[in-house]
Amino acid sequence: MNNLTSQQRKFVYLGAILLLLIPIIWLGMPADGTPDSGGTISRLRQQLDLGESDLGDLDPSGAAMNLALLGLRGVAANILWMQADEQKNYKDWAELRVTTESIIRLQPHYVKVWEYNGWNLAFNVSAEWDAVPDRYFWVKEGGKFLQRGVERNRRSPDLKWHVGRVYGPKIGLSDEARFFRRYFYQDPDPQYAKGPDPEFNNAGEDNYLAAKRWFQVANDAEKEQRQSIMDRSIFRSYPARSQLDYAAALYKYGFREEYDREVGDRKLTDEEAKALEIRVREKLKEQTRQAWALGLEDWTIRYGQELFAVEYLPGIIVQMRLEMGEDEIRSLGKSPDGIAQLRRAVDQYQKMNNYRYWRTRALCESEPETAEAHWALFAAGEEYRKQSPAARTFAEQSMALFEKTLEKYPELRDEDNFVEEALTSVLVWSLYMRLEGEKPPEMYPLKSLWEEKQERVPEIERRFERDSRAAY
Amino acid sequence: MNFDAVPFPVLYSFILWAIVIGSATSIVLVISLMATIVSVGVRGPLVFANELGAMVGDLISLSPRRIFALAQLTFREAIRRKALMVFVVFAILFMFAGWFMSSSNLAPEFQVKIYVSFVLRAISWLILPVVLLLACWGIPEDIRLRSMHTVVTKPARRLELVIGRMVGYSFVGLIVLAVMSVVGWGWINRQLPVAAQSQLVCRQPIEGGLTFLDREGNPSEKGINVGDIRMFHSFIEGATKARAIWTFNGVGDQSLDREGNLLLENRFQAFRSHKGDMRRSIYFQYTFVNPETNVRVPYPLKTIDEGRGRTDRINRTLVNVGESADGKKYDIVNDLVTKSGQLTVEVACVDPGQYLGMARPDLFVRTADLPFAYGYFKAVACIGMMMLLVIFMGVSVSTFVKGPVATFLVFSVVMVSYTARDFMGKIVGDPFVLAKAREWSGQLDMQKLEGGGVLESIYRILWHMNPTTDLPVGASTTIMKWIDAGLVNFLWLVYRVIPNLDYFGQSMQYVANGFDVRFDACVLPCILTTLAYFGPCVLLGYFALRVRELEAK
Repeated sequence: MNNLTSQQRKFVYLGAILLLLIPIIWLGMPADGTPDSGGTISRLRQQLDLGESDLGDLDPSGAAMNLALLGLRGVAANILWMQADEQKNYKDWAELRVTTESIIRLQPHYVKVWEYNGWNLAFNVSAEWDAVPDRYFWVKEGGKFLQRGVERNRRSPDLKWHVGRVYGPKIGLSDEARFFRRYFYQDPDPQYAKGPDPEFNNAGEDNYLAAKRWFQVANDAEKEQRQSIMDRSIFRSYPARSQLDYAAALYKYGFREEYDREVGDRKLTDEEAKALEIRVREKLKEQTRQAWALGLEDWTIRYGQELFAVEYLPGIIVQMRLEMGEDEIRSLGKSPDGIAQLRRAVDQYQKMNNYRYWRTRALCESEPETAEAHWALFAAGEEYRKQSPAARTFAEQSMALFEKTLEKYPELRDEDNFVEEALTSVLVWSLYMRLEGEKPPEMYPLKSLWEEKQERVPEIERRFERDSRAAY
Repeated sequence: MNFDAVPFPVLYSFILWAIVIGSATSIVLVISLMATIVSVGVRGPLVFANELGAMVGDLISLSPRRIFALAQLTFREAIRRKALMVFVVFAILFMFAGWFMSSSNLAPEFQVKIYVSFVLRAISWLILPVVLLLACWGIPEDIRLRSMHTVVTKPARRLELVIGRMVGYSFVGLIVLAVMSVVGWGWINRQLPVAAQSQLVCRQPIEGGLTFLDREGNPSEKGINVGDIRMFHSFIEGATKARAIWTFNGVGDQSLDREGNLLLENRFQAFRSHKGDMRRSIYFQYTFVNPETNVRVPYPLKTIDEGRGRTDRINRTLVNVGESADGKKYDIVNDLVTKSGQLTVEVACVDPGQYLGMARPDLFVRTADLPFAYGYFKAVACIGMMMLLVIFMGVSVSTFVKGPVATFLVFSVVMVSYTARDFMGKIVGDPFVLAKAREWSGQLDMQKLEGGGVLESIYRILWHMNPTTDLPVGASTTIMKWIDAGLVNFLWLVYRVIPNLDYFGQSMQYVANGFDVRFDACVLPCILTTLAYFGPCVLLGYFALRVRELEAK
């Protein structure tokens, strides 16, 4: 073979090893913490923010697991994914939870893994349970899981947005919303002694305000790193939308939540209950109006003034705002074609985000008269349930106020929520009249709307009766 | 529990075992005879007969003393090879296991499941690789180092060598397993949150048979499928005549608790077709029926506790307060259990438009619980059986291939058993695998996998024919089907040779779910499977050692 002795061969090997070590050491020199320090790999890692600690918090146990698996991390992760899928099919939630934990230890910086599993826990697993407190538990698990994902992946706007979605639409728009919203500040788990779960709602705030905070954090992160969920203009609308949702939820659920919170474990006399009802209504009237006013500000000033890059002519990109006026469009568009294109772009973006609707609604709702109309309607419903004559008074009051609002904002005539509430006020009024054996007079507020939208009345009546029966 | 534990079919399995062993032995003998004839000519049959006679002679002159000596040698060798280092890994794992455990917010029964599963899985995952490596490398190393020569030239026979190796490794494995299981048991008791400690029990259920009535009240084999991927659970519609009817045998005074109550535990599921009243879970109702006297006693409505299950403590004296209320008092054991000790319980879903889901194990009579350790150590015993099985296969295979190949081969057999055995079972038409597939798919008439064998499948793919389309009639189809049938028959043999490891895994599920490990449905099959492989593995190892050239490294 060759004439080298065993010792000579060993020296050759040693020499080769040393020779190979030189580029490895040169390339892989560790950084000393100062910018541009260390070897090439270290410098590149700093420049491209690829270090583990740049991505998010380090997880020693996950790092240890990855090292222990040598090069089999991918295989192990695949096996765990298959197990998780099977456990889902077997409805083996305890095991699924543990498998999910193992998966994220192996893939801590894979954002989609966090997204998928967080969604799975908060939406899919939650829906598999029958008892609402159990469902809420899994919503929380999903939310907490996603928050841990944010800690591990601080730069990802997507994960932050997903956390916001759990806090906002998942809690606030589910069929179980009235339960979930309460549980958010009064957890059903006895260990929290009727308080919120501090890991999920540390500040004891409203779910939509928590969502707004998270969506805002996502928006801040989105300035540094692109999000990959939806069109940018929609993505950035979420903090403002959460404020508007918060205001709407105050109307829908606020009274019962606030009333029960005030009552606590006390037993009230009828007089005390009545006084408390009025006090809560008055308090919420102003609170909701302010919430809508802030929503209007968020929507039209913060969100509406944001700049979005739009290709309004082939190859020409312009920065546009949703709250763009005609003068601005003219000055930016320059040519008649350009103006028309830009106007169309603004219009399309406004339609895509339902911008004008929310602007009008927030504007209208933030007016004292609209707030008064809503709460008068609410009071009419409550009094009707008690068969109290005050129902008629409140209904008439709300009808008059809704008509006034309609005169001021005629575009609301085709807005579903507004029409529903306006028709409900007439419905309560007519139901009470029927109860008293009276016939409606020839003229009454909202008469034209009532006659025009007759096809919607049966559905609204059904909904009103169902809500009347629903206990909180 | 999310599987239906049925008694192991001992006779059927024994017949199958005999057929497989018979077929495999016949094949080996025929090939050996032919090889002998080819190598030594017309004297072949005589040489073959002599060899066979010598083998039988070895079989009947086994010496326990020599086997024990070889086992001792194997044991010492395993210790020298640092087999006990596995304890270090085990200790490290358990020291830091708490880091990987889920949050304590989970329900207590879930926590029990997580902790128990972790311990049992950790034990099996640690012990199996160790015994696999020991068993697969022992004999090849002996041959490589020529230490085998010093043994086989002594009075020790090669058969004793194989058995000695198996016994020695088994002994090492059992010691390791015993230590690990005791430490694991202590760890569960110490580490489990206090709130979950009460769930650390070993339920002893009396399971019943389940039949259904459909919404019209007609008997039905299954309930409604509400779209679950796995059709294990059937659903009954609320406020209709649909019923799930359980029949429990062997119910008597001994089935009641100390206060004389009958404990009925259920794990019903809910499916809502509309949200309904979300403040409460779905209502169900038990009705106790005595088919001999036609007495029907409904029990007050209860709500289900999905995901956790609920235990109803039913007083043995029931008052009939149902629609046909006669106000009479009935004693469960004396009035509602038949003379043959049969108790019939009808379950109805009460809420209209809602559905109640159940499978056979979802309702049972809970008799006095046993200590957790009882079921835990039974499960450990099942892991031990699996360990023995791996040792038997490892030693046997290592007699005819080298260490790495033997390790890979046994590892592959175990992996194939876990991952592909069911698929193979569907192709060869194993009735038990088909029953499991039916349970998954909900197709009660499911037969063998459609689409034919390898050639037929390729043909169908190329010609875009779906599995239900008839193949054209002709000689080529006949030949294709004939070849496919031969291949499927071969696959049948391979399928039957690969051990069924389902039972070993099920033992963990019993304990993790808070149940005693059933002897007839889990422990017995584990024991029999292990025993079934012992003889053939010994013979194969012996045969291979006898015919191989020990000088060949």
